[in-house]
Amino acid sequence: MNKSIRNLIFTWSIILLSIVLTIIPLPDLINSFRLPWLMMTVIYFSIFNVALIGVLSAWLSGLILDLMAGGLMGENAMILSIISYLSYRFRFQIRVYPIWQIMVVVLLFLSLGEVLSLWIQGVSGTMNLSVIAWINISIAVIIWPIFMGFIQKMESVFLE
Amino acid sequence: MPLNPQQRINRFEKNYSAYRLIIVIILSSVLMYQDYQGTYTVKLRSYLSASLYPIQYLINLPNNLKKSLYANFLNKEEIIAQNQELKEENLNLKSQMQQIYRLESENKRLYELFNSKPKAENTYLFADIVSTSKILNKHQIIINRGSRDGIKLGSSIVNAEGIVGHVIRDQIFASEVLLISDLEHAIPIEIVRTGLRSIAIGTGEFNKLRINTLPINSDIKKEDIIITSGLGGRYPEGFPVGTIKEISREVGNPFLEVEILPFANLKTINEVWVIQTNE
Repeated sequence: MNKSIRNLIFTWSIILLSIVLTIIPLPDLINSFRLPWLMMTVIYFSIFNVALIGVLSAWLSGLILDLMAGGLMGENAMILSIISYLSYRFRFQIRVYPIWQIMVVVLLFLSLGEVLSLWIQGVSGTMNLSVIAWINISIAVIIWPIFMGFIQKMESVFLE
Repeated sequence: MPLNPQQRINRFEKNYSAYRLIIVIILSSVLMYQDYQGTYTVKLRSYLSASLYPIQYLINLPNNLKKSLYANFLNKEEIIAQNQELKEENLNLKSQMQQIYRLESENKRLYELFNSKPKAENTYLFADIVSTSKILNKHQIIINRGSRDGIKLGSSIVNAEGIVGHVIRDQIFASEVLLISDLEHAIPIEIVRTGLRSIAIGTGEFNKLRINTLPINSDIKKEDIIITSGLGGRYPEGFPVGTIKEISREVGNPFLEVEILPFANLKTINEVWVIQTNE
């Protein structure tokens, strides 16, 4: 199969998988604890495998999430494209960091995403500050090494 | 032929160019503004959502399948017991219905006496829940009826217990419903005992609504029943909303803080009715 087509299919399956993980029905007990999977995926690709994704695909994936989750159309799209651009800009520095420093950077990006989202909510009417969103971000940072390992494994299986 | 380093960087730069970012930010700002205002992008959004409906449906398939399978695997005794219960309930409801016919005709006669027109009659449409919103603090559900089945924006949704919410977005094959407990939702209400009118606001919690516009000397008691007042034209008149759970007076605050417990269990809704007023 053509390499670029294979890349495209691989990238969008991972993106769709993370969207599905974000909106899949879960038991009540853990329903609130939904990690920002799509943002994590976009950050990973924009730092470690820049050929697979760009600002436009980040925007498109965010738009799909907005439509399916029932938010304001364009909210996640804008946040994801900004995060993707920033991660790309700093990718050379981030790539050589040890894993704990990468986790700190991911924490910063995810927090920036949450702050932007709060800002958009504030402008459009109802801002709700909740602790759970920040707990989700910290869980996402803690499992980041596992997440990264998983996608790297996937890449080694499907791309080479 | 191997690329030289300059070309290799350029190839990625194009995907991440600042121009693209700026264009995308402007585009999403326009989209967000229009979506918030609800003017030009309503149609666009409903078509885009409709194209994503198959994915939405597939994601929720296991959950919905579980529900229908559960119905199939009930054993015989349970079904018989359930049937018996339903029969009794049906008989009960039917005897109450007889009263309603009488009341309805009486009502019509009185309207004629006053020389005014009776209110528009409603049509009911049955719908199932496809999914509930997973985003924190967003109380929305998706039902499996859309504009294809004749559902209009703003139609109210009720279940067996009471008012649930109203349709805010159309997805052609489905529609998105905002629940009355959402932070952005307000519903015009009336207290049955006194006829006092007010507005109940969602709190972001499934079992709580709030009234904060009643002055402290209002005649209001715990466990008063609350119905929709029909003002504002969105919700039809006289549907049950909830009961008053708590009334608190704060020193220095000229208004009461009233908590309402909705009749409908908003967390576990399964099937609903869409009410449309015929004009």
